[in-house]
Amino acid sequence: MARIVTTERGATIDPLKHSQPLGAAMVFLGLAGSMPIMHGSMGCASFAKALLTRHFNEPIPLQTTAISEVTAVFGSGESMVATLDAIRKKQRPEIIGLLTTGVTEVSGEDIGGQLRAYLAAWADADADTGAAAEAGVEADAAPLIVGVSTPDFIGGLSDGWSAALEALIRAVIPADELVLGDPDELAEDLDDRDEGRTALLAASAASPPRPADAVRAIPAAASVRTTTAHTHPAVPDQPVTRRSGATGETGSAGEEGTPDLVAVLAGPGLTAADLDELAELIRSFGFTPLLVPDLSSSVDGHLAPAWQPTTTGGTTVADLRRLPRARAVVAAGGCAAPAGELLAARTGARLFTHPHLSGLTEMDALVSELMSLSARTAPTMVRRARERLADGLLDAHFVLGGVRVAIAAEPDTLVAAGSLLRDVGAEIVTAMAPTYAPVLDDTPFDEVVLGDLTEFTTRARAAGAQLVVGSSHLREVAHRLGAAYLPVGFPIVDRLGAALAGTAGYTGSLRLLLDAANRVLDHTAASHGAASHGTAGHGTGGHSAAGHGTASTESAASGGWSETDLPHQARATAYPDELDDLFQESPC
Amino acid sequence: MSASDRAALFTESGCETNNTKSTKERKAGCPKPKPGGTSGGCTFDGAMITLVPIVDSAHLVHGPIACAGNSWDSRGSLSSGPTLYKHGFTTDMTENDVVLGGEQRLFDTICEIVERYAPPAVFVYSTCVTAMIGDDLGAVCASAAEHTGVPVIPVEAPGFLGNKNLGNKIAGQALLDHVIGTVEPEDAGAFDINLIGEYNIAGELWDVLPVLNRLGLRLRACISGDARYRDVAAAHRAKATMVVCSRALLGLARGLEDRYGIPWFEGSFYGTSAMADTLRGFARLLDDDDLTRRTEELIAVEEAATNAALEPYRARLTGRKAVLYTGGVKSWSIVSALQDLGIEVVGSGITKSSDGDVEKIRELLGDAKMIGEGSPRELLRVAEQTGADILVAGGRNLYTALKGRLPFLDINQERHIPYAGYTGMVEFARRLDMAISNPVWDQVRRPAPWDAQVAGTPGAPGTLVAGVA
Repeated sequence: MARIVTTERGATIDPLKHSQPLGAAMVFLGLAGSMPIMHGSMGCASFAKALLTRHFNEPIPLQTTAISEVTAVFGSGESMVATLDAIRKKQRPEIIGLLTTGVTEVSGEDIGGQLRAYLAAWADADADTGAAAEAGVEADAAPLIVGVSTPDFIGGLSDGWSAALEALIRAVIPADELVLGDPDELAEDLDDRDEGRTALLAASAASPPRPADAVRAIPAAASVRTTTAHTHPAVPDQPVTRRSGATGETGSAGEEGTPDLVAVLAGPGLTAADLDELAELIRSFGFTPLLVPDLSSSVDGHLAPAWQPTTTGGTTVADLRRLPRARAVVAAGGCAAPAGELLAARTGARLFTHPHLSGLTEMDALVSELMSLSARTAPTMVRRARERLADGLLDAHFVLGGVRVAIAAEPDTLVAAGSLLRDVGAEIVTAMAPTYAPVLDDTPFDEVVLGDLTEFTTRARAAGAQLVVGSSHLREVAHRLGAAYLPVGFPIVDRLGAALAGTAGYTGSLRLLLDAANRVLDHTAASHGAASHGTAGHGTGGHSAAGHGTASTESAASGGWSETDLPHQARATAYPDELDDLFQESPC
Repeated sequence: MSASDRAALFTESGCETNNTKSTKERKAGCPKPKPGGTSGGCTFDGAMITLVPIVDSAHLVHGPIACAGNSWDSRGSLSSGPTLYKHGFTTDMTENDVVLGGEQRLFDTICEIVERYAPPAVFVYSTCVTAMIGDDLGAVCASAAEHTGVPVIPVEAPGFLGNKNLGNKIAGQALLDHVIGTVEPEDAGAFDINLIGEYNIAGELWDVLPVLNRLGLRLRACISGDARYRDVAAAHRAKATMVVCSRALLGLARGLEDRYGIPWFEGSFYGTSAMADTLRGFARLLDDDDLTRRTEELIAVEEAATNAALEPYRARLTGRKAVLYTGGVKSWSIVSALQDLGIEVVGSGITKSSDGDVEKIRELLGDAKMIGEGSPRELLRVAEQTGADILVAGGRNLYTALKGRLPFLDINQERHIPYAGYTGMVEFARRLDMAISNPVWDQVRRPAPWDAQVAGTPGAPGTLVAGVA
C-alpha cells in the first residue's frame, strides 16, 4: 500500500505530465486504418504528432479541426463537420477518433450533441443514396466515428488512454438496456458512469448513425453474429483486407466464429514487444488473442508495402465488432481496468485484471488463469521462458539488490518497472507519477509522489538515487545526479527501438531486468575508469543522502544565470580560436 | 490582440509582396487554417520558435499541460552556455484554474521562477485556454515585473489565432514593444550587426560567425539563436540588420529601421552565391571602402576553397535527380545550391512558398516542375514518375520518403546537421552524397523472397513506391 503524496502546487518546471488527448490518440494509433483527430487548434495536433513521431520513429496519422479564435468563440461545430467530411473523403479511414482538447472543452459546447447530429444527418444521406451505391464504396465512406472527451486541463496521458479505450467498448457494444434515441434511457445509462462526458460522446458515436451499423450494434453480444451476415451483406464481417499487411496475425481475431477468443485490453505501459509476447502466450494455450489497441502491428516500425495516410496495422473494426464473442477479457495494466470491467459486464466474459505484467508474480497469475481457462498445461516454450526469467532474477539480484532507484513514469509503467526492480531487492527511493491513478494505491513502494521533474530531481538527489528510470527527459536528471540511467516509458526520443524493447511477460521482464543490471554495471565501470584517470567520477554510492538539492544549487547546476554575471558580451568580439572553444563546450 | 493591432501585423511596408496586395488581401492575413487539411504548428508554436532561442531567459507557458508538456526540450536551437531555455516552465492550468481564473497562479509562478533561477527576463506565453477565459496577461506581467524587478514580457500568441508565421510576427512585435532599447551597451561599435530569424539550428550560427568575424563584423544581437537577453535588448545600437530566411520577421527589421534608423537587407546563408550576396549586403549597408575590399577578398578565397572541396561531390552527384519540398527563401535558394552540384531538380513543392518565391522557382525550373499539392502521396507520385534519386524536404516528410523507400535529406529546422555558410555547403553536399549512395536502398527495395516471383527487377522504379499510384 503506497502513500500518495501530492506536492503543493507551485510553478511546474519540467513537467512529467502529458495531456489527455495524447493518450487517447495513442489508443487510436493501435487500430487499423485509423485517423485520430484532435478537436482544437492546429498546435494541439502538431505538437502531439511531433512527439509521437519522435518516440515511435514512424509517420503518425493525426489530424486537427484547426479551431480559430472565431470558431472557438462562436462555435466549433462547423469546423468539426468540415474536418470529418474532408477526412472521410480524402484519407478514407476505417475508424476516426474525435478527441476534444482544452480549447474546445473550455467553451462548454455540446460536442457530443454536435457529433450525434452529424452522424444522424449522415445516416439520412446514406439512406437516400445508399441503395444505389456499390458495396465497396460504401464501406470506404462509412468509417466508425468514436468521440472521446479529453480536456487538456484535467488528468493526463493515462486518463486519456482509459477514456479512449472505454469509449471504444461503448461504441461497439452498447448497453443491453439502452434503447437508442431515447434520451431518458441514455441519461440513465450515463448515471452509472464515472466519466459522464466520455460516455456521452462514445454513446453518441454508437447510436443511431447509419442503418448498416445500427442493425449490428443495437442488439448486444449473442444476436450480433446472426444479424450481420443476413441484413447487410454489403459490409464484410471479415477484417478489411484492402490494406494489405494491415491485419497481421497478432492483430486479427482469427476465423469467423472462433469459440476461443481472448480479448486483451492493453494499457500504455506495454510496448509492441510486450504485446507480441502476450499474444503468443495466449495463442500457446489454444486461444485466439484479440488485442485492443494493438500497437504491435501499427506503429511497431515495419516497412509496409505502400505508403498510406492512415495507420498501416492494428486492431481492425471487424476485430472490435468481434469483442462480444470473447470468452475472457484480460485487462493488462491499471489503465485498462475500467474498460475491462465494462467489457466483461456487457458481454458476460470472464475478466482477469492485472495492474501490470512485469515479473514472475503477475505472469504466473496470468498463466494460471490461462491454464484454468483452457484446461491445458503450459507449453514447453512458456516453461522455458519462466525458467530463464527465474534465473535472470537470481543473476540480477546481486547487481540490483540494495541499489537505490528513482523512477518517474506514467502510473502503469511506474508500477510495472518499479515492481520488477523491487522483486530483485532494489530500493525504490523515489517514485513519481504525473497524475493519480487507482493502480498507484497498491504499489509495493512506500510512497508515490505526484509532481514534476524538478521535484523529482530534488527528491532523488536527497535520497541518493543510484539508478534513474524513466523517459528521455530523465537522462539529463540522471546525468546531473551522477546516477545510471535506464530508459523506460514515454517519450523515448533520443534512441531507437523503444517499441521493440520488452518490459513485460516472462521474456520482456527478463530483457528489462538485464538491461537495468547492465546499466548499473556499465555506470560503475565507467565511474571507476573515470576516477582512475583523475577526472570527476561518480561512484554509484558516492552521493550521500544529505539533501543538497536546494533552490540555489539547483539554479547553478541548471544554468540559470544572474543578471550580473553574464559573460557573453565578450562573445561578440571573440577571435575564431575562442569560438572554437565554444564549439567544444556546446552540446552539439 | 485587438483588430487594429492584428491589421498592423499584416501591413508590411518593407515587403514588396505585401505592398502589391489589395487592402482586402492584406486584411485576410495569413491563410486560414483548413479543417482536416492542416498539419503545421499554431501561432503559439511560432512565437516559441522565435523567442525560446534566447537561451538565458525563462519561457513560461500559461496554459494547460498540452502546450508545454508536449513541446518542452524538443527544439533544435543550441546554446553555447546557459541552458535555462531548455526547461519546461508552465502554469499547468487545471479545471479549478479554468473556472476560477489563472492570474494568481501565473503571478506566483513567475515569482517562483525568478526566485529559483534569477533569469535576466521571463517571457510569458498565453495559450488558447487562457485567452478564452480572459486572463489579463499584460497586467499580470507588469505587476510581476514590478514585484520581482525582472523584466516579464507578455507574448499574446494563443494557438487559435492561426499559423506559425503569425506567431513569428507577434513575437517580433513583443521584442520591439518590450525588449529592444531597454539596455544601453557600453561598447557599441561601427561594425555591429543584428541577425533576425537565425535560430542557431544544429549550431549553424557557429559556422557563420567566424566568417563574419574575419571581416570585423561584430554580432550585436542574434534574434534569437544562442542569444542572451541583454544582447537582444541592446539590438537598437547595431549599424545594420540582416533578415535571414524569414519574411515573417520583416516587421521587426522595419521596426528597427523606423525607430532607430538601422538599415536592413534580406539574405541567406545557404549556398555559396547566397553567402556572397549576404556578405556584400553588410558591406553595402555599413558603407566602408575597406570593408568592401576585404569582403570581396574573403568571398574570392572562400569560394575557391569551397569549390575545391565540392569538386569530388560534384563528380558523384552530377546527373542525379531530386524532388524538393520546402518553403520560403529556401525553396529557390536550395534549388540553385542543388543545381550548382549538378543535381537536376525534377520537382519542387510550392505550397509553402510566397508568390515572389514561386516566381524565382519558375525562373529556375519552369512551370512543369512545380508541385501544387504537398501531400505525401503526391510527392511520392512525382518521385516515382521522374525517377528521382532523393527527396529533399522538411522533417515532416522524412517518413514519407522512408516508407516509399526513397533517400531523404532533411533541410528544415528539426535537423541536427548545420548547412549554413561555406563549411555548411560542403557538409550539405557530403550528406546528399551519403543519403543517395547508402547501401541500404538496394536492400530495402529488393522484394521479399515470397514476392520475388511476382515483383519486377529489384530496385526498378516500378517497385520503388509500389501501390501508391
